[in-house]
Amino acid sequence: MVELLAQTGLNALYAASYTALVAVGLVLIFGVMGVINFAHGELFMLGAYAIVAVYADWNLPYLVAVAVGMIFVGIVGLGMERAFFRPLRDNPLGGLVASIGFLMILQALVSMGFGVRMEHVPPVTQDVIVITERVRLPVFRLAVILAAVVLLASLWAFLKKTRFGWALRASAQDPEAAALQGISINQTARIAMFIGAALAGVAGALTAPLISVNPHMGHSVIVTAFIVIIVGGIGSLEGAVIVAVAYAFVHTFVTTFFDGVIADIVGLLLLLIVLIAKPTGLFGSTDRA
Amino acid sequence: MFAKMFKDGLTRRRLLGSGAAIAGSAAAAAILPRTAFAADKVVKIGFLAPLTGPVAAWGKPGLDGCLIWGEWINAAGGINIGGEAHAVEFVAYDNEYDPSKARTGATKLIREDEVKFIMMLGGDTWPGAQPVADRTGMLFSTLLPSDLSPDTTTLIAPCEVHPIYNVTGVEWLADNMPELKTAVMCAQDDALGLPSVATYLAAFEAAGIEMQDDPLLFDPATTDFAPVVTRLISGNPDIVCLDTCYADYVHPICEQLFQQGYGGQIISCTADFYQQIVAKTSEEFMEGFIFQFPDFDDPALNDESINFQMPNEFYAEYASRYGADQWGAVSWEYASIMDLWKAGAEKAGSAEPDAVLAAMKEGGTGLHAFGEADWWGEDLFGIDNALVGNWPIVVIEGGKATIKEFRSIPEWYAKHGELLKKHMSAYGQMWDQRA
Repeated sequence: MVELLAQTGLNALYAASYTALVAVGLVLIFGVMGVINFAHGELFMLGAYAIVAVYADWNLPYLVAVAVGMIFVGIVGLGMERAFFRPLRDNPLGGLVASIGFLMILQALVSMGFGVRMEHVPPVTQDVIVITERVRLPVFRLAVILAAVVLLASLWAFLKKTRFGWALRASAQDPEAAALQGISINQTARIAMFIGAALAGVAGALTAPLISVNPHMGHSVIVTAFIVIIVGGIGSLEGAVIVAVAYAFVHTFVTTFFDGVIADIVGLLLLLIVLIAKPTGLFGSTDRA
Repeated sequence: MFAKMFKDGLTRRRLLGSGAAIAGSAAAAAILPRTAFAADKVVKIGFLAPLTGPVAAWGKPGLDGCLIWGEWINAAGGINIGGEAHAVEFVAYDNEYDPSKARTGATKLIREDEVKFIMMLGGDTWPGAQPVADRTGMLFSTLLPSDLSPDTTTLIAPCEVHPIYNVTGVEWLADNMPELKTAVMCAQDDALGLPSVATYLAAFEAAGIEMQDDPLLFDPATTDFAPVVTRLISGNPDIVCLDTCYADYVHPICEQLFQQGYGGQIISCTADFYQQIVAKTSEEFMEGFIFQFPDFDDPALNDESINFQMPNEFYAEYASRYGADQWGAVSWEYASIMDLWKAGAEKAGSAEPDAVLAAMKEGGTGLHAFGEADWWGEDLFGIDNALVGNWPIVVIEGGKATIKEFRSIPEWYAKHGELLKKHMSAYGQMWDQRA
């Protein structure tokens, strides 16, 4: 039983890592721009396809592919900001609808370019750290966990220690007051969109060798990401990280000890309970709720 | 794919594809009986299956196979209906495995395209198309006989008797590896997964193999299978059964079994694109993996009893066009259904749905891809519209799928039918429960 608990804990850590990356990106975009980006799962998918193209097809090093994926998806995010979200800044519902339309476009484009079948991504490494006979941590999963920690810590430092980070936080707290202080709303929106999209892209790129890469893979992560940011409190980065970890542990343990369908039900029940007890989410403020 | 286009070069790929197509057509023209047909005589066949989305692996490869089949048949003179040769033309509609799109597609194929027969994957999409079938009398086929009921009089399952054929794999396993006594199973919680769970449970019980735990069901939206696999192998089972998991699940589950150190036997309904699983794990790990769908370059398919035109050449053609690693469970199945439909239409002298159906079912027997078979199903589906006979047991050996044996589904059912009905009932999968 101890071994089962330990292995499940390691599984949960991995799930928490990529869930947190996706959710934090989604929160950042909402916090600064006030837009619910339904295409966020497709940005995750684009990151995975960057690995298919650069690593699997062109045989370039995996880390190069991850970097390409992160930057490419960040640039796609910039395009979304300029094309949809900026013109619809005063119309949050319009932004949401535009993002739904864009996710369909991205799915169609990837289907046309890569085909609809699951893509094969060769393993980066098959090494496994054998802790005991029944507790094993694949080295690649450990790398994903560490990469997520480094990226989230870097984001935290960026937001807390740099002028751009202060500007982003100011825009998230009160866009009008921030503008009166000379902070460019367009500039902060661009930075938020680039970082938010790049985080989704890098999450997709990091996990691509471990999951089935197909044009519709974004659907599965966006549902989890929405649960995480709603429970955490829409607009709260800390809430997204903490709830991503908590949700991943709950979901993984329930899947292991009961089954995956019950785990989904438990996740949605938690969402309902939090919405009833604290509609702003566990770490949310009333301003954005 | 864009990347592969750049890597391989469009010209080279097209050239290879065209060359293979010409060679295949020439071979077909030389071997198949030849008749002359007027270009204006065309019979249209609808292909209503998921071409995109998570279930596309059980639709798109089938359409690819049908296109080869159509080219070969047309090159050999077409289909002789009532003394006149007809070219065959496939009209595809992507239902995305969505019942409402299946309904729209069925209506469009019948009204606008005037097809004479519609092939479907079935499952969740059949309830969408069924009202159209009832209203028009159109002949439909499904790969999933669990769609059948006494009300589905124009729906046939002439090729794949999913999931009933899975019993042959378990029976073979028990006969050849009697030391394996315990099993666990996982499945996605949907219309494909649940009847297969019931079938495997019956097969394991019939074989005297004990289930260590209830089948572990997971949400079809699952991406990370580590928790599922951790739970599955926590009791050191001799056998892990992957039920009828989609290819998108079989691959990561196998990878997780490999990474979490599982060393026992794996059995699965399908192992589509298994070369990719071998690449993600190892040849040693995949050695002995049992499933139910052969590669058609297998010499065992050249036996006289096999009712599929030039299986080895078909596989070679498919591999040259799309890549051998894109060969999947359904690559040949829809083409095989077309063999049966063609025989029925030629026998009936008509392409009209009722005439073809009557001709196909005449005498209660027929030639299915793996030999002689019976129209069967009253006991389980409430209607004898499934063509059931032998089915192959396929084992991965040295990284390559190999047919080990053909086993009779009706013979297994004659001995253990009550067990199957018991488990189907427990999972609410009998036709009267589904209705």
